[in-house]
Amino acid sequence: MNQEGRTASTLETRESAVSLCDVCVKRGQFILDHISLNIMDGERFCVLGKTGAGKTVLLETIAGRLREETGEVLLFGHHVRSIKPQERGIGFVYQDYALFPNLTVKENIAFGPVSLKRPPDEIERDVRHMLDIFNIGRIQDQYPHQISGGEAQRTALARAIIQKPRLLLLDEPFSALDRATREDMYRHFDRIWRTIGCTILFVTHDFHEAIRFADRVAVLLDGKLRLVASASTLLQGQYEDDVSSFLGLKVADRFCDICDKGEINSEQI
Amino acid sequence: MHRERPEKRLRKGHFSRFSCAVTIFVLIYIVSAIGAIVYGGAVHFGDAIADKEVLFALRLSSTTAFISTSLCLFLAVPVAYALTYVDFRGKKFIEIMLELTLSLPYILIGIALLILFSSPVGRLLESMGVKVVFTSVGIVFAQLTVNLPFAIRLARTGFASLDQRWQFIAYALGASEMRYFFRIVLPNARRSLTTAFITVFSRAMGEFGATLMLVGITRLKTETLPGAIYLAVSTGNTNMAMSIAIIMLLVSALSLFISNLIGKEKKEGE
Repeated sequence: MNQEGRTASTLETRESAVSLCDVCVKRGQFILDHISLNIMDGERFCVLGKTGAGKTVLLETIAGRLREETGEVLLFGHHVRSIKPQERGIGFVYQDYALFPNLTVKENIAFGPVSLKRPPDEIERDVRHMLDIFNIGRIQDQYPHQISGGEAQRTALARAIIQKPRLLLLDEPFSALDRATREDMYRHFDRIWRTIGCTILFVTHDFHEAIRFADRVAVLLDGKLRLVASASTLLQGQYEDDVSSFLGLKVADRFCDICDKGEINSEQI
Repeated sequence: MHRERPEKRLRKGHFSRFSCAVTIFVLIYIVSAIGAIVYGGAVHFGDAIADKEVLFALRLSSTTAFISTSLCLFLAVPVAYALTYVDFRGKKFIEIMLELTLSLPYILIGIALLILFSSPVGRLLESMGVKVVFTSVGIVFAQLTVNLPFAIRLARTGFASLDQRWQFIAYALGASEMRYFFRIVLPNARRSLTTAFITVFSRAMGEFGATLMLVGITRLKTETLPGAIYLAVSTGNTNMAMSIAIIMLLVSALSLFISNLIGKEKKEGE
């Protein structure tokens, strides 16, 4: 509760981290249809949608990897494609991790800092810290094809976070983790978010994850942005039929959701 | 999906029957041809391998092929990288030109090179000490010209099979283009580039048409292995020709073996 109060009071004064204005993108069968969206600096924003709704396309457009056909994508007030990828200050984690297969876990994590030619002892310290946070120290010398999905996911997260990005874009970041590890990750992410103070934009199909981890939630169905709501009030709104059915807002479900959320909150304290 | 199904279909299908028939035909045809060469040449293989001229041809062929293949990949890799990862003006035009040269007959490339190097440009080069026509430098040149588009295509296939998102991730992590190329692209394409090297090398070993046009065949001077076979046949020394053919077969077999080995390793690695 306290956390929401903080978010609400400070949002007004913050600059916008990501701003999409009437953006259309076509990528194969995926189409983003006139998306307008504003994400504040320091916010945790979740895009909720089914598989195939265009979530990854949206993330890649914001990251400047895909070219928008109409509209504009602004990253901290600048056109994203006018900034070199190296200077955008984004961290990107793909759903299937896209680790570099020729590098070990440790080398993958150190790839960014080494690219920026930071001092070796500093790199060593940061990498160690990441290995500890994500609990992957014992697989540090293994290659991506030797580790499990969950470990690869944590490696990919570590590789992005070690760079202290201003904007962290996560594509289904916790999908390969079991429930216990996931809870662990949420906590780590809360901490990371507080320490490096970055904006986090993540997409997921998991309703609970969205509510548990985001300040605001947007629902993306078939390439259209259907609603943006604060995570705490998401369940109380009245929506069109397809949105409510996607959100599972039947009375019984809603009851369970609230219970679940209650559990999580008590655990958090 | 049952496991028996594809097998049944394989037995029944007209296409599979047809492909079996063609395979049998090719096998009979090639096995008998190769058999004849091996049968006829094996007796004289000992003489051939000790023959000064044959040894010269083997050495010349492998040296020129090695040099031309190295040059070829050195030139092909950056081009293939650019064609795979970079958007630039005229890219489509370059692609079409490269495809076009792939389909040119080698003898035509040879005669074009001959005309080029016999022209004032060639004479200018010659005055600067680069003699191409009728020298072993010309052999390297002919092999290089013939194989370059092929090498570019092989390298491109190798690069295209890599995950294209790595580039974006590497850049977002602050890597320069050079770092991405040397740290990510090259190591991950290592195996396909090695296979490309072997394939181009064995093609260079067998190159005949363009070399013949540009350099001709002079005994103990510009005599490559295929050239030696040609000379042996035209002087009626069929036994020698067949023995040299065995050497070439062994080279092909060896390169096939090595590329298979690499392919296998790749599968296991993944």
